[in-house]
Amino acid sequence: MLVLTLLTFSLSFFFPGEQIINVTGQIDATPEQIALIALDYNKHESLIMQYWSYLVHLFNGDLGVSMASRIPIMDEMMSHLPATIELTTVALIIAMVVGIPIGFIAAIRHRKKTDDIILAVSMIGYSIPIFWLALLAILIFSIQLAWLPSAGQISLVYEIEQVTGILFFDILFSDNPYKWQAFQNASVHILLPACVVALAPATVFVRLARTSMLTVLDSHYIKAAMAKGLTFQQLIFRHAIKNAMVNVIRDVGLQFANLVTLAMVTEVIFNWPGIGNWLIQSIYQRDYTAIQGGLLALSSFIFIVHIFTDFIYASLNPLARGIKYGS
Amino acid sequence: MARDKTYTEEEFPSPLVQLWHNFKQSPAVMIGFGCFIFLVLLAIFSPLISPYSPIENNLDAILLPPAWHNDGDVSYLLGTDNLGRDMLSRLMHGASLTFGLSFIVVILSMFVGVIIGSISALTKGVKSSFLNHFLDVILSIPSLLLAIIIVAILGPGLSNTLWAIVIILIPQFIHITRNAVVQEFKKDYVLASKLDGASNIRILYYSIYPNIIEKMISQATLAQSAAILDIATLGFLGLGAPIPMPEWGAMLANGIDLFYIAPWTVYLPGLAILFAVVATNLVGEGMRHALKVRKEH
Repeated sequence: MLVLTLLTFSLSFFFPGEQIINVTGQIDATPEQIALIALDYNKHESLIMQYWSYLVHLFNGDLGVSMASRIPIMDEMMSHLPATIELTTVALIIAMVVGIPIGFIAAIRHRKKTDDIILAVSMIGYSIPIFWLALLAILIFSIQLAWLPSAGQISLVYEIEQVTGILFFDILFSDNPYKWQAFQNASVHILLPACVVALAPATVFVRLARTSMLTVLDSHYIKAAMAKGLTFQQLIFRHAIKNAMVNVIRDVGLQFANLVTLAMVTEVIFNWPGIGNWLIQSIYQRDYTAIQGGLLALSSFIFIVHIFTDFIYASLNPLARGIKYGS
Repeated sequence: MARDKTYTEEEFPSPLVQLWHNFKQSPAVMIGFGCFIFLVLLAIFSPLISPYSPIENNLDAILLPPAWHNDGDVSYLLGTDNLGRDMLSRLMHGASLTFGLSFIVVILSMFVGVIIGSISALTKGVKSSFLNHFLDVILSIPSLLLAIIIVAILGPGLSNTLWAIVIILIPQFIHITRNAVVQEFKKDYVLASKLDGASNIRILYYSIYPNIIEKMISQATLAQSAAILDIATLGFLGLGAPIPMPEWGAMLANGIDLFYIAPWTVYLPGLAILFAVVATNLVGEGMRHALKVRKEH
């Protein structure tokens, strides 16, 4: 985490232009104001002190103001980050719910037609360029079939006040008389982008689930259970799935970084008001403060999810805990 | 190939040859390999064999559909785009831009990564631990995000994109080289040559590299499929190759506005990217499978 802040701090030196302006985003400040800001950031002292004051500002939630819109980065991020969290969470759930069972099926029918077909499809799904897939999805589902809307988070008809930022909660907590229509509308809007984001991670989950199920099915306790005369269904549902799931959970964190990247591109295409869309806009506008803030926010988001999955993995799997304390 | 067994001594093929033997067992992998070779050849010879120039406008033939369509023209086999540029020629030149450049990018970053990785495997203590932690952080940031940040620093453009992708691929290679070298170093044959008095560099060159090269190659195919996707994505987002260049991602972005009247300008480059990535992945998959089979014997 600290290395991350170090990275963003050094980024402000790499970007073209004055470093202090890159950090704060005050592009049209007078020389006197700049001198004041420089004093605030310990500009005249050593690099370490400068970094320290940068950290202090960071912990106070001060990331400077956006060079393009003159709004504090923190506020902008707070309005964009929840949309991304929403999209990635829904996509992750879809990917897991679809991918893991298919992987299990492939493992159970190992070296048969089903297994081959699933593997081939997952290879193609893994290789599809995400932006192309998104465009095709829009073409098919929004334009030709007209089932799902193609852009935005919710229809503009509904006015939802932003409280938590996560739209679904906002709708549920609001006292709008058309709450349920709004909820339906929002879920229809999220379906297409989430499915597009979910496809590639789902195929990875298929592979992970397949390999972990194969190792589990190969293990001794499964053979013992089989020797006891359990039916195949009992074997799979009671013994194999639980143990195979544990191994898949461990890799969810790693997949999440991938998923966030995909979400960034998808947000641009679906015009989703998330942080990826905002970040890419700010690159076009050379909004360096926004780039730093966005990088920091996205990476810490990934980092937190990473740690979180590690905890879940450790709490589910006594073996993972045992190694740390045992040896 | 007939091989006379003059001597009773058994012949041990080198690791790469063994890999090839296992590799060519699966037909699907060989098809992928064939496509891969085809793309490499296309990337090299595209300026010679493409029928038209990729950037020359032909305003008499704007938005011609592909030849199998009713309105299509056989002299423009895959149709033309909004400025009358021949899609087939553009796709061919795109092969050398997207696929060929990704190849170069991977080789460059593999070269740097292997050198740094070997050095870090040989050093111990604070330096190597610092490197490890630094790499962990870099690897935890999504590669595309990092590429976008680097492009933001350097400014958009094709060459900057390539440098960005080289930089983001290096940590993966460092990581895998480091692990492989450390693993090999524990083996007995390395100890034997060490007892013979070989220096570390000599051991690396003669004993270790021939034994880890296949791991590097299989990582390189992974990296290449990622590199193709990254180059195309950056091109699509308008941060990579500028629009007139026939890079597949940029071509796709160019076609978006005409998506509804001329869908072939969008689906053809997309198919090309898909084809290249699937071919690369198939080769990589076959390589990993061959490695696994060899390990089991």
